[in-house]
Amino acid sequence: MAHPLSALRRGSAPGWLGLGARLVVGGVMIAAGLIKLPDPAASIEAVRAFELVPASLVEPIGYLLPPLEVVVGLALVVGLMTRGAAVISAVLLVAFTIGIASAWARGLEIDCGCFGDGGADPDAASQYPWEIARDVGLLALSVFLVRLRSSRLALDSLLFRPPVAPVPTAALDDLNEGSLP
Amino acid sequence: MSNKPGAPKGAAKVRAKEQRAAELRAEAERKRRAENLKRGAIVGGLLVLVVVAAIFISSRSGEDLVASDVGSSDYGLVVGEPGAPREVVIYEDFLCPICGVLEEGAGEGLAAAAAAGTVVVDYRPIAILNRFGPYSTDSLNAFLVVQQEAGDEVAKEFHDLLFADQPSEDGPFPDDDWLVEKAVEAGAEEAAVRPGIEGGSRMADVEAATQEAEDAGVQGTPTVVLDGEAFRDGKSWDEIAENLLEEVS
Repeated sequence: MAHPLSALRRGSAPGWLGLGARLVVGGVMIAAGLIKLPDPAASIEAVRAFELVPASLVEPIGYLLPPLEVVVGLALVVGLMTRGAAVISAVLLVAFTIGIASAWARGLEIDCGCFGDGGADPDAASQYPWEIARDVGLLALSVFLVRLRSSRLALDSLLFRPPVAPVPTAALDDLNEGSLP
Repeated sequence: MSNKPGAPKGAAKVRAKEQRAAELRAEAERKRRAENLKRGAIVGGLLVLVVVAAIFISSRSGEDLVASDVGSSDYGLVVGEPGAPREVVIYEDFLCPICGVLEEGAGEGLAAAAAAGTVVVDYRPIAILNRFGPYSTDSLNAFLVVQQEAGDEVAKEFHDLLFADQPSEDGPFPDDDWLVEKAVEAGAEEAAVRPGIEGGSRMADVEAATQEAEDAGVQGTPTVVLDGEAFRDGKSWDEIAENLLEEVS
């Protein structure tokens, strides 16, 4: 009786919402990374513009961030290591949100460089609230994906058994509750 | 045995069940280990992918800037004595805000160091920000006109004035009259520079200067080259300007 029900539950609305969240967060990550990939110099200057990162780390982060975003985005879209990818995207989004909020608080007028460009932007102050709202929204979706455990149409479900392994535990349950006197 | 049903038979059944349970548990454990191995391989593979991509990108955008010797460009403005112990080449766009930050932080200090003979600076203005409007190109044309008509000293002053009063990337952009005004303020004669500024007489050189910088490996502005190597040491451009002055003073 236990597993048909849980199977039904796994396939219901949250699974599809999870797929939606994966596509949204993953799609944004891929776009953000791909735009930055061809112009590493701009990516480095976008990192430097926040004036938060020690000089020696500006360039490594500028080089690493675009491919990391693309790979994490792809992993989310296809549902490969979904929860791990969602953890990384959540960590990145927390960092981005802190960066933008801190730039805003310090009165820096910079383009966040989220989708290429970066550096000074005289109109920055009006952009900050919307950028922060966007990142917090994506962060919420990432956290949802971490907590959801599994979603629809994910490579994970082909590669791995469902997180709550129904067959062995159910079989053991049957044994325990079985015909023992 | 057979005429005593109950306990022994039940015990055998329990043993069999326990054995099955143990097998199932072992099977589950094996599967779990295999899956963890698979997870590790996937995570490792993805990490390697990211790092290799980053290294590939950084190696392609190599630090070596060719043809960046002081005085080697036809479109540069050399300040200081050739043969000074430190050589600096600065590629900049008159519209680029970070170039404005660099100029504000290092402009006067570099001029002083050049006058003191510790450094020779080759300013190479280029025009790469045309997507924001014509100012990037117009200002460089005006700079080349001023340099041609009034000499290096006036051109350096004009360069400093343009950065001191730099327009925003989002406009509004000053017109030709403003450029002429700045040129005159810098010490040029209006009659000498106005036709070239209004007519865009050095536009071909604007393109050539920018192309030359691209060919040299310049990927953006400002690009600072110290003794042949890109100089980007600092967590902000204020700090890079400070560190640069420290190096050459």
